[in-house]
Formats: sequence, structure tokens, C-alpha cells
Amino acid sequence: MSGAVVEREVEIAGELGLHARPAAEFSARAGRFGCDVALIKDGRAVDAKSVLLVLTLDVRQGDRVIVRAVGDAADRAVDELTALIGRS
Amino acid sequence: MTTLRGRAASPGAAVAAAHVHRPDAVQLPEHAAGDPQRETARLIDSLDSVARDLEEAAARASGAAGEILHAQAAMARDPALRELAASGVAAGRPAARAIVDAGDDFAARLAATDNPYLAARAPDVRHICDLAGRALIGAPPRRPPHPTEPSILVADDLMPLDTAQLDPDLIVGIATAGGAPTSHTSIVARALGVPAVVGVRGLLDAVADGATIAIDGDTGLVHIDPDPDTIADLRASALRQRERHDRARARAGTGPTRTADGTHIEVAANIQGVEELRVALAEGAEGVGLLRTELLFIDRDRPPAVDEQVALLQAMRELLGDRRLVVRTFDIGSDKTVPFLPARPERNPELGVRGIRLARLHPDLLDTQLDAVAAVADLGPTAVMAPMVGSIDEVEWFVGRVAKAAAPPNLDVGVMIEVPAAVLLAGEIAQRVDFVSIGTNDLSQYLHAADRRNPTLAGLQDPFDPAMLRAVDLVCRGAQGRCWVGVCGEAAADPAWACLAVGLGVTELSMHARNIADVRATLRRVTRADCATAAAEALGATDPLAAREIAAALVGPDRNERPCA
Repeated sequence: MSGAVVEREVEIAGELGLHARPAAEFSARAGRFGCDVALIKDGRAVDAKSVLLVLTLDVRQGDRVIVRAVGDAADRAVDELTALIGRS
Repeated sequence: MTTLRGRAASPGAAVAAAHVHRPDAVQLPEHAAGDPQRETARLIDSLDSVARDLEEAAARASGAAGEILHAQAAMARDPALRELAASGVAAGRPAARAIVDAGDDFAARLAATDNPYLAARAPDVRHICDLAGRALIGAPPRRPPHPTEPSILVADDLMPLDTAQLDPDLIVGIATAGGAPTSHTSIVARALGVPAVVGVRGLLDAVADGATIAIDGDTGLVHIDPDPDTIADLRASALRQRERHDRARARAGTGPTRTADGTHIEVAANIQGVEELRVALAEGAEGVGLLRTELLFIDRDRPPAVDEQVALLQAMRELLGDRRLVVRTFDIGSDKTVPFLPARPERNPELGVRGIRLARLHPDLLDTQLDAVAAVADLGPTAVMAPMVGSIDEVEWFVGRVAKAAAPPNLDVGVMIEVPAAVLLAGEIAQRVDFVSIGTNDLSQYLHAADRRNPTLAGLQDPFDPAMLRAVDLVCRGAQGRCWVGVCGEAAADPAWACLAVGLGVTELSMHARNIADVRATLRRVTRADCATAAAEALGATDPLAAREIAAALVGPDRNERPCA
């Protein structure tokens, strides 16, 4: 399934948004996937594997963001990452 | 008196000498670099090494401080930061310049968000890039602040690695020119329970090292050379603060600390003066496990007379009532020197003439101190102990000196265990004294032959290190049935470590006043048998993390403050 593009929109559940520990955990988890992963907020896309870039998006609780992955296991990456940050 | 205004960052008030910390700046190369491929490899290596140092420091820190260090480690491994720095190298810049520029770039992006929490992370990014840059040009690591007496730490800004290495006993307040209430300095100050004011413009121009300053962590005011009225007002407000805290304390319980099965563990305080003793008693201290007497000796041109020493000890004895006072004889030498003793340059002061070794060269100084202790020993339970003991000969010499001081028979005599030789001789030492007290800070550095002020070796200072736990075990086994064992190092202030120590046989724990309530509350929840089981398991651990996890499982979740957005 190399080259497949998978994306999903979620609403941020955590009280801290994607700051501090949640941001670090999100980027670390994204970093474990071989595929490219982007985090998109208000049309701005950043490399989800970079905690610094994720921080600059200033994602807060209740914000709607898109996780997009391209490449190997893209669907698994999107499943796992949206489950980590999204409201169930 | 000059007054500056900053932002209140951690409540409370403090008046003390300023310890001004000015980290040395480094000159970055501006000339073109060598082979870009090699420069890039060096760049990645230096960031990896910074990340590892931060991860190590994070493993040793607890609560909020640990989280910040973890976050900084993640930044050092950040792929986007590395990519930007590598592109700088590809454009012909030296690696050190490229990483510092990349850090500035990301810091500016964080500062540009309208979220104060994110803006406060900007210096964190700059800091890790500065560390990497220093390593790349072969500059020494950033020097952490190390005051030698209780001080208010004054700096432009403090970085997580700076504060991870602070001796919490020596910091009574923090004031910084930079920073915000959400920044690292503020979080650490709140975790330490000391007042702090941040964002004080012009602070470093206005404060000279050693000047008296007063800070108010509730209003954000910093007074330089404060007048007596200002000091009195601040002290009154600090007292009100303390009273609020006391009420919380009262709810947490009073009386002797007993484990859930009823074993009494004495939780005592490390102090230097009468004021600290008042605070410690309000915090629930069951006595003084370590009275540091060096303050009587430093910054003066002649040694303190016996009357002066008696007056101080008497004031303490009166406050203590029937609670025990353990006086440590002067631990001068190493980094604490006194004007009235001839300076003797030493290649390794930490391994030089300090503690009891200096006392043996100047027995008159020791005798005066022992006379003062003997004079108050009838007023309540009193004990005296010598630092840096490493041989039976030294123990016998000290015990003999105490006997000569006409001490009443109820004066207990002990020695500190902080030299590995004393650990190995614990049984023989215990036969000759009433108690021993383990000084974990120095014992760590001597066990590992690692300077405790060398930031590169900070990982070896972990009290959960298997060698340290086994040393405590050896001392307890040697002392069993002969004398009691206390601990008066920083390790005792960690509730999880304290439980392991109790499990090994320690019956007295002495610490900074602010940690007393926490340790007492934790000990009440555990049984001695559970502590012993956990300790036995921890003794089998081969790395500090595993031992820490065993202890953490015993005491339950960490309730320290966490940073929040």
C-alpha cells in the first residue's frame, strides 16, 4: 500500500491541547512510523514528527485538526495518532 | 533602597544575599566551515549527546522539573530542528553557528504564537542549541550556579539543567530578568517551594553579587538593599503565608511519624539557624538531624568564641524542648574556607583536608565547639557528630575529644558516614559510637569518584544507584544491635527513597523543612515490612531506574505539580 494517502479529522480531547507532554508524546509516536505524517490545522500543515513544529501550531482543546499520512502503514498511523489525541 | 517590579512567579517572601549567576558567553566562529558532510555529522552527534544528557537529568529529576527536561530532550532530537541546522551547514556555515541560528529561528516562531506557555518554551530551544554549539566549538559546558550559603539566586534566566543541579538547601528565593510565570524557572521555584519573581527588567544592572535583596513572590517586587521597614513588612507577610501552610500541616497530622504498623521513624530537619528551626518545627520536624555549623565560621576574621556558640545552641534547645538536636562539627575545607585559617592550595579540595581532617590540624577549634555542645547537653536530648570520618583512629580520636570536653553522659556521640571507607568499617565504627548518620550527597560523589559539581557526571549522583543502596544496606547491617542509623542527605527528602532506607533499617531521616510533611505522610501509609520487601528487591536492581520504579510502586503515584498550558 506504499504511496497511499490516508487522512482523518479529529477534535482535540486533551485539556492541555497539543502542548507539553501530549505534544511530545504525539510526535514521538508519529516518529515510530516509516511513513510521512502531517498535522494540519487551519490549512497549515507541519511534520507531525517534529515536536517543535507541532507546538508552533498552538493546538488547543476543542480544535479540529487533520492527521494525514502517506506511505507504509499510513492507515495504521492515522488510526493510532487520531485515537491518541482525538475525542472518542 | 531600589525597588524593581517584575512578575510574581512563586508565592512567599525572602530576604537574603544575592547570588548573581552570569553564565560565561561563548564566541561562535563566523568563518566558513570545513567539509559540510563532516560538519553535519558533528552537528548530529552533538545534538544526540545533548539529548542524552537531558534524558539522564530528567530520569533523576521528579515531577515538573523532569517533564521539562524530557521536553528539552525531545527538542534536541527534533527532526525539523536538525534539518534546518543541516541546511545552514550546507549553505557553508560552521556547525556551531548553524545550530544556534536554527534554535533562534524556532524560538522566534514559538515566541510569535499568542500563547504565553509556548512563548515560554522559546528559551528552552535556545538553551539546547547553545549547549550543542558549545560542545561543537570545544567550549566548557555552561557553568551551573552554585552558591555556598543560602541565597537568592539572581540571573538573566535559568535553564532546566542549571536548576537540576541546584542544591535546594542553598536557594531561598529566585529572581530573574527574563522568564514568565509559565517558564521553567517559575515552575521549579514552585516545586522547590521558594518565592520567585521573574521578568525583572534591569535586574542584573541593579544587583551586585552579595548585595542584600528582598523579593516578594506575591506582588512581584524586588527590593535591593531594602530598608528595615520593608524587611519587617515582608517578614510579616511571609509569616502569614507560613501560618496558612501550618493549618494545612495540622490537617496532615502531628506527633511522631509512625509507619502503618506503628514503627517510629524520626523525621528531622537539616538546618543552619534558629529561623530555619522555627520553620522546620512548624513543618512537623521531630528534631534536628543535622545542624550545620559552618555559618559560624565563614566570613569572619576570628573563630567564634564558646559563648557565642553556646548562645546559638541554647536558643535552639529552647525551641526544641524534648526533641533531639544533632550538631555536626564544622565541615570546613573543600569549597568552604575561612579567613582565619591559613589558605592551603590543594589540587583536589574535595579529597583534601576537610571535615575531621581539618579539625585534627586545629584541635582547639574543635574543642571550643565541643565545649559549647557539652554546655547545652543537659537542656534536652543533644548529640554531636563529626564529618568526613574514614578510619577507626579518627572515630576514637573524636570520641576522646568529646569525652575531654566534660560532656554529660547523656550527650550522644556519632559520626557521619560519607566516605566509602567508613561504609566498609560500619560495624567497628558502630561499636564505638551512639549513632551514625549517612550523608548521601558526599557519599555519592566519593562512592563513584565523581565530583558532584561536574554536570557531565551528574548521572552518578542518583541516590537510587545500586551502589548507594548497597552502601546504606552495609551500614545498617554493620550497625544492627550496636547503634542507630540516620540519613541526612538530600536522598532522605525523596519519600520513595526514604521508604527504601526504612526498609534497610534506617530509623532517622533528616531533610530540608519543606520535604518533611511529604515524607511523614508517605511513611504513614506504608508498613515497615512492605518497605523491607521493596528494599530487598531494590538491592537486587542493577540500575537506578529499576530501583526507583520498585520504590515508586510502593508509595504510589507522584503527586508533584505538573506544568500546564
